[in-house]
Amino acid sequence: MTVQIERPPSGTADVRKGDGAGPGGPGPRTASRAGALAPYLLLLPACVATVLLLGWPLLKDFLLSFQNLNMTQLIQHVTEWNGIDNYKEALTSEDFWRVTLRSILFTAVNVALIMVLGTLVGLLLARLGRRMRVTLMIGLVLAWAMPVIAATTVYQWLFAQRFGVVNWVLDRLGWHAMADYSWTSSQMSTFFVIVVLIVWQSIPFVAINLYAATTTIPAELYEAAALDGAGAWRSFTTVTLPFLRPFLYATTFLEIIWVFKAFVQVFAINGGGPDRLTEILPVYAYVEGVGNQHYGMGAAIAVLTILILLGLTAHYLRIVLKQEEDEL
Amino acid sequence: MKRKLIAAIGIAGMMVSIAACGGDNGDGGGKAKDGYAGQTLTVWVMDGSSPDKWQKDVAAAFEAKTKAKVKFEIQQWNGIQQKLTTALSEENPPDVFEIGNTQTPAYAKTGGLADLADLKASIGADWTESLNKSAVYEGKQYAAPWYFANRVVLYNKKIWAEAGIKDVPRTRDEFYDALKRIGEKTDAEPIYLPGQNWYHFVGLVIGEGGELVRKEGDKYVSNLDDPKVAAAMETYKKFQALSKAPKDKDEATPQQGEVFAKGKVGAIIGMGWEAGIAVKANPKLEKDIGYFTIPGATADKPEGVFLGGSNLAVAAGSKKQELAKEFLKIALSDEFEGRLAEENGVIPNKESLQSHLKGNPAAEAAAPAAAGGGTTPLIPEWAAVENEPNPIKAYMTAVLNGKSPAEAAKQVEGEFNKRLAQKQ
Repeated sequence: MTVQIERPPSGTADVRKGDGAGPGGPGPRTASRAGALAPYLLLLPACVATVLLLGWPLLKDFLLSFQNLNMTQLIQHVTEWNGIDNYKEALTSEDFWRVTLRSILFTAVNVALIMVLGTLVGLLLARLGRRMRVTLMIGLVLAWAMPVIAATTVYQWLFAQRFGVVNWVLDRLGWHAMADYSWTSSQMSTFFVIVVLIVWQSIPFVAINLYAATTTIPAELYEAAALDGAGAWRSFTTVTLPFLRPFLYATTFLEIIWVFKAFVQVFAINGGGPDRLTEILPVYAYVEGVGNQHYGMGAAIAVLTILILLGLTAHYLRIVLKQEEDEL
Repeated sequence: MKRKLIAAIGIAGMMVSIAACGGDNGDGGGKAKDGYAGQTLTVWVMDGSSPDKWQKDVAAAFEAKTKAKVKFEIQQWNGIQQKLTTALSEENPPDVFEIGNTQTPAYAKTGGLADLADLKASIGADWTESLNKSAVYEGKQYAAPWYFANRVVLYNKKIWAEAGIKDVPRTRDEFYDALKRIGEKTDAEPIYLPGQNWYHFVGLVIGEGGELVRKEGDKYVSNLDDPKVAAAMETYKKFQALSKAPKDKDEATPQQGEVFAKGKVGAIIGMGWEAGIAVKANPKLEKDIGYFTIPGATADKPEGVFLGGSNLAVAAGSKKQELAKEFLKIALSDEFEGRLAEENGVIPNKESLQSHLKGNPAAEAAAPAAAGGGTTPLIPEWAAVENEPNPIKAYMTAVLNGKSPAEAAKQVEGEFNKRLAQKQ
């Protein structure tokens, strides 16, 4: 691991040098003040956008969650505060906990599949020759660039009961029972379609990310490992994996967030059906809040969803933050 | 020279601002000298409920009378309640909108609908009493009855002839046998009946003399465990077994009219105007479409039907109340109400206009069943039941997938009762 010493001086060193010259130096004060303000000015647009587009709705949602807001109240613009009633009702209902458990399992299955398959595709990219790599890359980027609703619609067609390609192919291959199979008729088959869709949509991100990570591994390390007698598996675990670890953490972290709030795919494929058996937390919040027109209740479930997501990702968040500290 | 130019510009500027003031007056909703010129009334109508030509002619008559324009916006039934609630809460709601009769009491209760007492007094004296019932909530007139309709059997004459069936069936058993024969003699699908055509199911329940809800104390609860409801569901199941349509979809996904248009389906159970959807998709089919009353258990009494209908309401938040009422006076006038009955084959809001149905085969097929028709309970609590995922649809799919009606009733009871008891 001595190689790390050879890393070129990072950008932070330059910045520090500049900072050091600031207060002690004889340079004009105005210039240095403008220089000190510059980072904040540069941050401003992003902060304003975040506050307007995320902070404000979040605050509104939080306020709504303490209100009894149904059709009547919404149409007449009356505000009826009802304290923590919505939370009490949500947290004491069996449905909420069942949906929460389902959401966690759903996220776990999806993220595990995405990470394993995505990593394999990423490593494949690193090994492929130039032409094949570009071809695969284009395929991945196209899958990644496809708008979510468009992809979901295509999957609906693929898995349609009477005219879907999947049933037709299965039938042609000799599995005739599948000729008129209704994929949306049971909980597991609906989940199967959704999982295939979500994994397919997410693999490109993980694969390209990890491929990028592998390009930062110096080739000398593999030579050194080979000289020490390491086989393919050994050099993977001792050289590749340590380099990829921060990337794996970061992408897992992002994938958990994305899958957990995968509202569009789940809702568009079957509306959370059959019999509300494929509702995950965001869909549950929508059906209770907007569908049943209990907007206050929906807001409370949304707040709880955010808290649960924070709880799930807290561990990863800490690791990622810690790693960034280590890097510095 | 320069001064003159400045003066000219000044005068021109003043004229423009005066003109602008005039424009403002027109937009502000007050009645200016030349009527309501410059204003536009937004009207929401449901997909298929009024023909394009009817809309165009109403708009022309409206413009001739008031100088204002009208913009029709077509809405879909699925998800309409959420859309309507949001729209009514906004600054600029649709001024006039079509609203289903079973949904009207709930919206009347929310205060989103304007009181139309004066309209009822001026044009509604002879609205049919039973049809007006859903528009009245706690003694006040919150909407105007527009049209009513019940389902019929639309059939493909060519396929029926191919199967060698000469007479239209008069009883449920004859109907079943005819469909079976089509299945055996032709390569067509005898009937396209998706598992969640719940309006037809409600009709069957009405035919059995059953009720979907019952009152327990002062609240309504599910009555799906009633043997009469179970009997209706068994009938539905028997006919659904003849169809390859999905058991977990309703008649709008995909539009059954479009499936029927392909010419490979013997019959569908639908509204008369759904023939229009089919003809639009496949004009060649027009001469092959026939209609007959849904046959009941015996030849002397047609099947029970759901009396679907729509009211026209004015948004309480609309800033063009007067103009909206002007529109209703034209749209609901004997001329246009009569034409709607004629063109769409729907039951008009006055008995005196029913002569317009003569010669419309769909309407003539629908009429005999209307007397034995009914609606879902006209209570404000009902609207919540129709929100997706509708527990009655879930009940139907459960039975069609092999559960006994009693088990299925038990399965959806919790959700059904929750919706009936939900806070308003």
